[in-house]
Amino acid sequence: MTSKDFWRESKVAVLGAGSWGTVLANLAAPHAGSVKLWFRDEERARLANATRTNAEYFPDLALHKSIVAVSEVERAFEGGVDAILWVVPSSGSRALARKIAPLLRGHEILIHATKGIEEGTLKRVSEVLGEELPLARIGSVSGPNLAAEIAKGLPAATIVASRFQEVIDAGIALLTNPRFQVEGSHDLVGVEWAGTLKNVLAIAAGCFEALGLGWNARAMLLVRGLEEMMRVGKTLGAKPETFLGLSGLGDLIATASSPLSRNYRVGFRLAKGEKLEAILEDLDTAAEGVRTAMTIADYATSQSLRLPITQAVRGLVAEGWDGERFLGHLLT
Amino acid sequence: MSTFPEVPENFALERFDGIRKDVLADAVSRTSREFPDSSLEGTLREALFQEKHRLRKFRMFSASGPFTYGRHVRDARLWSGVRGDLLKRPVEAGRREITERTLRHYAEEIGGHFDPAVYRFATSIVPIGFNWMLNAASFHTFLPWKMKENVQSRLKIEGRTEHLRKLADRGTILLVPTHQSNIDSILIGFVIYMLGLPPFAYGAGLNLFTNPVLSFFMRHLGAYTVDRQKSNALYKALLKHYSTRVLEEGVHSIFFPGGGRSRSGAIENNLKLGLLGTGLQAQIRNYQNGKPNPNVYVVPMVMSYHFVLEAGSLIEDFLQHSGGHRFLPSGETEPFFLLRAMQFFWRFFSTQSDIHVRIGQPLDIFGNHVDEEGRSLGPNGTSIDPKLWLTTQGVLREEPARDREYTKRLGEKISERFHKDHTVLASHVVAHAYFEALRRQYPEHDLFKLLRLSIEQRTMPYARFAEEVIRLHGVLRERADQGGLFLSTALQENEAEHWIRDGMLALGALHGHAVLKHEEETVWSEDLNLLYYYRNRLTGYGLRGGLGEYDEQGFLA
Repeated sequence: MTSKDFWRESKVAVLGAGSWGTVLANLAAPHAGSVKLWFRDEERARLANATRTNAEYFPDLALHKSIVAVSEVERAFEGGVDAILWVVPSSGSRALARKIAPLLRGHEILIHATKGIEEGTLKRVSEVLGEELPLARIGSVSGPNLAAEIAKGLPAATIVASRFQEVIDAGIALLTNPRFQVEGSHDLVGVEWAGTLKNVLAIAAGCFEALGLGWNARAMLLVRGLEEMMRVGKTLGAKPETFLGLSGLGDLIATASSPLSRNYRVGFRLAKGEKLEAILEDLDTAAEGVRTAMTIADYATSQSLRLPITQAVRGLVAEGWDGERFLGHLLT
Repeated sequence: MSTFPEVPENFALERFDGIRKDVLADAVSRTSREFPDSSLEGTLREALFQEKHRLRKFRMFSASGPFTYGRHVRDARLWSGVRGDLLKRPVEAGRREITERTLRHYAEEIGGHFDPAVYRFATSIVPIGFNWMLNAASFHTFLPWKMKENVQSRLKIEGRTEHLRKLADRGTILLVPTHQSNIDSILIGFVIYMLGLPPFAYGAGLNLFTNPVLSFFMRHLGAYTVDRQKSNALYKALLKHYSTRVLEEGVHSIFFPGGGRSRSGAIENNLKLGLLGTGLQAQIRNYQNGKPNPNVYVVPMVMSYHFVLEAGSLIEDFLQHSGGHRFLPSGETEPFFLLRAMQFFWRFFSTQSDIHVRIGQPLDIFGNHVDEEGRSLGPNGTSIDPKLWLTTQGVLREEPARDREYTKRLGEKISERFHKDHTVLASHVVAHAYFEALRRQYPEHDLFKLLRLSIEQRTMPYARFAEEVIRLHGVLRERADQGGLFLSTALQENEAEHWIRDGMLALGALHGHAVLKHEEETVWSEDLNLLYYYRNRLTGYGLRGGLGEYDEQGFLA
């Protein structure tokens, strides 16, 4: 039996029915036997099964026929699953993992799509999940993947990273299609940190846009930002070259230039003088960069690392700096 | 008189000599199968090249020369034969035969023996010898009926001893001890005996076979030979298959996962995974062969010494490797083993100090905790079926890439357990505290500059030293409460003044010069290299807050 044959019969659970979760479920469905897509909200799950769309995010995108929406997480695991796609915000990951731990058997492959770290502990999502779940084969999918573009069928590529080759193989088998390429990497630490750190820079980039600083300034920000990412990554055990790949520079360019990115929008509106609470309320999905900026800035202080951009973003989101002060900090 | 446990009967190793031939033949054929035909020419040539190089370095007039000469001659004969055959025969012809001949030669060298008579003799004589020496050294009593003390009072075996005994009945034990001294091998054998467990197979370095007395016992008590100088692929693969095969027979085994002895004095951090992975291989094979007790349990064991026989030469070696030109070696050499071992036990007994050996939390082959029933425990009250962790795409099978990662994970968990199951002694605390107080005094100095401070420069007021000791003790107590380490009874119960004094005395007991000396109101060290060695026992705990192995000034963190 080839790998493809195995996955064609497989059962997949997608946890989290936000924009990226919905798109990932649709990517996996043609390659898998069945896909359960878990919604937090019962009404939305019912609606999704009735209308065959996830109307809140993509009213025009038809859900693949083998996707079943569920709202009780236990139902996603009924009869056992072979793979789990984890699309849960980093802040809710530990609690949900604790809840589903008894539902797992140990042979499952888990790939998470969460670009964030646990507040305070600096633990990557794969570490949190490894601590709470009775399985070991964990990986992460990360890259320049704005969900709305992939939903439209625009071409894109991504990286599935894991210490386990079979997790990478599963990611490639489940997610690849003619418009969506999947590469593998063994540097899980690097891929997770790259995906996390670029969110901080996306906030800075949104801020630059709002202040109308031009292309030169943006290039300066991205390059220095990349250097900052690599500096932090090195102290955390990441491979530097990972930051130059799809999940590093690639993701950075996409999120730091597109108004589709949530973190970018947060930065944009902060620089326009809006209050953080109000912005986060409007977004109604997680902007991971806000928390990450605070956690990393603390870490940098403790390690005497110089991270001016991260410090400035922290000032912006946590200490009420305005655009001028933000820019001033970067140019000193 | 002390009571010693019953000598166990009917254990797997006892039957070993009966199956030895099959075990070796299996190991040879499994290893041979690992190398496809197309790779043999290259593998043989590379092995020949490495072996020629190794054989050239042999010195007859060295400490081990006379004892390894016979082995050297046999190896040399084998390889000149291999060379001749590789040249004579056309390329690719007969390569399989040459490979298997080489493997059989190695197998004979590696394979151990077990002689029940020697075992019974050793278990009856060694404990008495230890007790006699203990009493002679502490009370100068040589008369057996006047012996007041017994070894148990000085060798503290703590931790999960009952857990280990239960698991030994339910599966095969892979005991993984920390390794500081050649004394460890003797001590571990003794601990296993004291726990009433049957003898374990043990991969012993060639250097331990150079002593005729020790060599006799090891050779007949299930020790197999590991020659770390032989680095070619055939030898390494064979060693793994041999170890796997022995585990499959249900023979409990011992590996030192740190490779050799810890050079720096620190608890092992980067473990050697090669032999460690054989536990996983054996368990998979046991499942496939339908064995009744298929599981292999990995049990950490952490030893705590106040003084280490070879500390001087080990730390020299470490500093030389990490320091390069910044370190001037004094030429301290490895002490002659048997004589120094006697000296060690004599000193150990006469100084009234003790050795702590802790049996740590047992793990499965992936590094998950195992309960007393032998079940693997997952997080959040889940239990883990190892078969499912070994199932890939619906089939339970070997999967080299996956299994390597599992073994890496196991290595990380063992290292974590080593730190958590470590019993911290008063001597560790005073050594660490003095060194850190000294660093605080010279914040700009890197390691090698600090080690060269003059006696005056390294003398400090007792009060400052004591303050640092108390502060460190507080931090360690907090860690102990959180399960991060264990404190010895003295550190938990005695007055600080007492354990500080005892710790300083014990720390220096073996060495010619005082590692820490206290006179009037000052404290100094006569040998900072040694002090650094003993100080390092408390590294790896992030006591200074950083993440890496070394801190920003090049000290072990």
